Amino acid sequence: MTAIARALPDLFRVGFAGIVAYRAEMTIWILTATLPLIMLALWNAVAAEGPVAGFDQVEIARYFAATLLVRQLTSVWLVWEMNYEIRSGRLSQKLLKPMHPLIQYAVEMIVSVPFRSVILTPLLAALLLWRPELWKTPAPTAVALFVVSLALAWSINFLVQAVFASFSFWVDKTDGLFGVWFAAWSLLSGYIAPLDTFPDWARQILVLLPFHGMLGLPVEILGSFIAPGDALPQVGLQVFWVVVLATVLAVLWRAGIRRYGAFGA
Amino acid sequence: MVQVATALLRASLTLAMQYRSDFLIDMLTGVLRTLAAVAPIALVFSQRETILGWTAPEVTLVAGLYFLMQAALAGLVEPNLGEIVEAVRSGSLDFVLLKPADAQVLVSMRRVDPAHLWDLLAAVLLLGWSISAMEPPSLADVGAAAVLLCSGLAAMYGIWLLAICTSFYFVRVDNLRFLLWSITDAGRWPLQVFARWIQLVLVVVIPVAVITTFPALALRGTWSPSLLATGVAVGIAFLVGSRWAWRASLAFYTSASS
Repeated sequence: MTAIARALPDLFRVGFAGIVAYRAEMTIWILTATLPLIMLALWNAVAAEGPVAGFDQVEIARYFAATLLVRQLTSVWLVWEMNYEIRSGRLSQKLLKPMHPLIQYAVEMIVSVPFRSVILTPLLAALLLWRPELWKTPAPTAVALFVVSLALAWSINFLVQAVFASFSFWVDKTDGLFGVWFAAWSLLSGYIAPLDTFPDWARQILVLLPFHGMLGLPVEILGSFIAPGDALPQVGLQVFWVVVLATVLAVLWRAGIRRYGAFGA
Repeated sequence: MVQVATALLRASLTLAMQYRSDFLIDMLTGVLRTLAAVAPIALVFSQRETILGWTAPEVTLVAGLYFLMQAALAGLVEPNLGEIVEAVRSGSLDFVLLKPADAQVLVSMRRVDPAHLWDLLAAVLLLGWSISAMEPPSLADVGAAAVLLCSGLAAMYGIWLLAICTSFYFVRVDNLRFLLWSITDAGRWPLQVFARWIQLVLVVVIPVAVITTFPALALRGTWSPSLLATGVAVGIAFLVGSRWAWRASLAFYTSASS
């Protein structure tokens, strides 16, 4: 354990150097997440005649600006990475190192967060200069809760993708299967519309599903759409999903790695 | 040239049929993608009767046209993009250039992705529902819509070929197409939703509005000759421009051995 802790700073340095080496590619990836801006334009047009589901135009803009930020900071591309490494046998290199491969993957993904922040900060700063009314200072407790909720959202994203990627120990391609999950996620997480615009019965079900904890909840906390006190049980639900997914992943990984016969192994 | 095209189509369909297990997943993804496109429309119109003068069937019409474009582009054009990028990098484009047919036809039709037949089905469903729920369009409206649809297809093919051409000059452009797709996502909605300068971008730079909003305007009978002229001009410009860029890129190509 202490050996892992000692190796982590170097792992982070190497990972970040990797991100910087492919900076142009990474920047294009960041720019591809345009959907929050498109949905912002749409809902802005809807709210032009008066508030929708309690959101006026300023709140709509704040909601989708927060969505853009949270989407970037919780972004993970593990399914494609792991799929490729299992199929090509490159996973063997990770297995040789005295550290669990999933920790190595986690570091590889998390080092993109500082890079994303560097790209996003001027964009969001320009947005706030242009429309200062979007800024609403959250309470200190909300800020603390947002950081916790964001970290949990990242973890759920990572674990879900790891679970889907683990299927490739048994079948050839799992990115298609993940596409199904992704379509459901974009529909139900608050990515295309705030959950408040859904019918009430649907909203009550949706907040219980893992999708809300992957995006909607941190967005609502950051934009002050939910009071910290009301958000706390939801954060608890995020922890629940992290535990469930981690358990599923542990079982899948153990069974899968036994089946794994890499090239040359 | 038609013979070449049909032969290529048959070959790539045979290749795609080898992966039957993907069929079910493709179907499920197709259904969910359609739902993900329809759900925001349902959500928006549960709050409002119209947005900016567009009714629910009219907005669905735009979404249906987007699916049609997606089926054509992702099913017929896009599968080739990745291959050409790789062929340029490895030099195997030589084999294409040696064949006694126009290389642009060969690279544009080498592969077909039948997974996008689901997009076609979604397009037919959405278009069928929306047109039957709208005032029946006049013959002139339908004619204008058909012309705009064709020039929109030509324009979108053109921008994709231009994206292919960049691979002759830069090595890693495989994620450029994801950027292109994410921008065309804006075409799912009526153009009026966006700010003026974005509208201009969506007509002239990434001309997705020509294939979605323009034919929809024609079918709802709110088009003008200048709209028709703009659409046709954009289509021709992209077709001619991309052909020219393709020629220039081929001249730049130095093959693997040189």
